[in-house]
Amino acid sequence: MQEPRLPASSLLRIYLRSFLLQASWNFEKLQNLGFLYMMLPGLRSLYGEDIPTEVLRRQGLYFNTHPYFAPLIAGTVLHLEARKLVGEDVTVDSETYKNMVMAPFAAMGDALFWGGVRPLAALVGLLVASQGSLWAPVVFLILFNLPHLLFRGGGLILGYMQELRAIETIQKCRLPDLAIRLKESSTVLIGVLCAYLSFKGCEHQSLSAVWGFVLLPVVLLFAWLAHKGVTSLLLVLLTTFSLLFMALLF
Amino acid sequence: MVAADYFLAGLVAILAGLDRVALVQIMISRPLVAGPLTGWLLGNPLTGLEVGMLLELLWLGRLPVGAAIPPDDTQVAVGATVLTLTVGPLLGLKGMPFIILAVLVAIPLGKFGQVFDRLARHANDRLAISGADALHTGHTGQLERCHLLGLVSFAMASLTTYFVIVLVGSFILYNVAPLLIGAVREAGLSLQYSLVLVGAASLLGTINVNRSISLFCAAFSGTLLVLWLR
Repeated sequence: MQEPRLPASSLLRIYLRSFLLQASWNFEKLQNLGFLYMMLPGLRSLYGEDIPTEVLRRQGLYFNTHPYFAPLIAGTVLHLEARKLVGEDVTVDSETYKNMVMAPFAAMGDALFWGGVRPLAALVGLLVASQGSLWAPVVFLILFNLPHLLFRGGGLILGYMQELRAIETIQKCRLPDLAIRLKESSTVLIGVLCAYLSFKGCEHQSLSAVWGFVLLPVVLLFAWLAHKGVTSLLLVLLTTFSLLFMALLF
Repeated sequence: MVAADYFLAGLVAILAGLDRVALVQIMISRPLVAGPLTGWLLGNPLTGLEVGMLLELLWLGRLPVGAAIPPDDTQVAVGATVLTLTVGPLLGLKGMPFIILAVLVAIPLGKFGQVFDRLARHANDRLAISGADALHTGHTGQLERCHLLGLVSFAMASLTTYFVIVLVGSFILYNVAPLLIGAVREAGLSLQYSLVLVGAASLLGTINVNRSISLFCAAFSGTLLVLWLR
C-alpha cells in the first residue's frame, strides 16, 4: 500500500507554524508543545481530525533543538509516521529518530546561526551603521534572514522528501566547518571595526594613526577577561568609571 | 513626548521582545534593529541607531541556548531610545553625551529582563501540564490554545522589563544627568567608542575559534595601516 502524501498546503502550514515553535517554551519539557503544534497540520492530513492519542503522546514528549532545525526534524517525522500508518516496517521509529537527532542538530544550529551567521551579519551592519546610514538594520536583517528562512523551508522539504537520508545530506553540507569559517570571518571584521574606531578616535584627537595601535593590547586584555568569564556589564562599568574619573581629573 | 509615544514604544517592546524567543526569531529583537525602529516611530531614527550601535555587540556572544537566558538587550535598546527622547528634552539635554548616559543607565536594568524572562518560562510550565492533559484526551484545539497562551507570558515579561527600564531609568537620569553630563562630555568620543570596543572584545573572547587572536591582530593592524597610509 502506498503511503499517503502530504499536500503542499499542509507543508506550508507547518512552515508557518515553525515560527511559533517556542511560543510556550517552558522548563518542564522545553519545546514539546511547540513541536506538536507545528506538526498538527501534517498529522491532520494523515489521520484526519481524530488523531489517535497514542500519536499525540508520542509527538508530545520532551523536545528541544535549535528552532531553525525543527522543520527538518518535523519533515522526517511526518514521513516516518506516514509509513507507519500504512504498516510499513520502519528501521527507526519517529520517537527514536527525534531523540537521536535533536541534540546534535541543536549544537549544529547554535554554532552555525547564533555563533556564525548572527555575529557576522551584525558586524557588517555595524560597519554600515558607523557611516551613519539607516540602511544598517536592513542590511543586517537581509544578511541574517536569507540563510535563516531558506534553511527553515529547505529543511522541511529535505526532511520530508529524504526522510532518514536527510541526516547524510546535512552531514555532507559540513555545517560545523561552515560555522568555523563564519566565526573566522567575524573575527576579521571585529579587527576591522576596532581599527576603524581607533583611527577615528586618533583623527578626532588630532593624533597620528600610529597611536591607534595602543588600543590593540587593550582590546586583547578585555577579550581575555571576557574569555575568563568577566561579564560585559562589569567591563562596561570598569571602563566607564575609569574614563569618567580621568575626564574629571584632567 | 506624549502618552501615545510611550504606547508605540511599548508595542515595539512587545513585538521585539517576542522575537527574542517566542515568535519568528527574525532578529528584529537585536539592538541594531529595535533601537532604530523605536526611534523611527518616535520621530528620530538616528538616535535609535546610535543606541543600537552602542549595544549591539555587548551580549551578542551570549548564546540563547536551552535554558540560558542572556540579559535583555532588546528592552535596553528600546528603553534607552525612549529615555533619550523623553528625559533629554525635559532637561534640555541632547546629542551623543546624553545618548551615552541613557545607555549607561539602561544597561544594568537589562538584568531585570533575565528575571522576568525566567518567570515567564516558569509560568509556561503550567501550560505544559495543561497541554499534557489535552494530549491524553486528544483535544488538539485545547493543546493549540495552551501553546499560544505562552506568548502572553513572554509579552508580559517584555512589557514589564520595558516599563522598569523607562520608569527607573527616567528617575535615575533625571537626578544624575545634570551632575554627570559634564564629565560625559569631557570623556566624549572615547566613552562612546569604549562601549563598542568592550562589546567587540567580549565577542572576541567568546567566539571560540583557534586562530582568533592572530586573525584579529592581522585584521586590526592591516586596516589601521591602510587607513594611516591612504
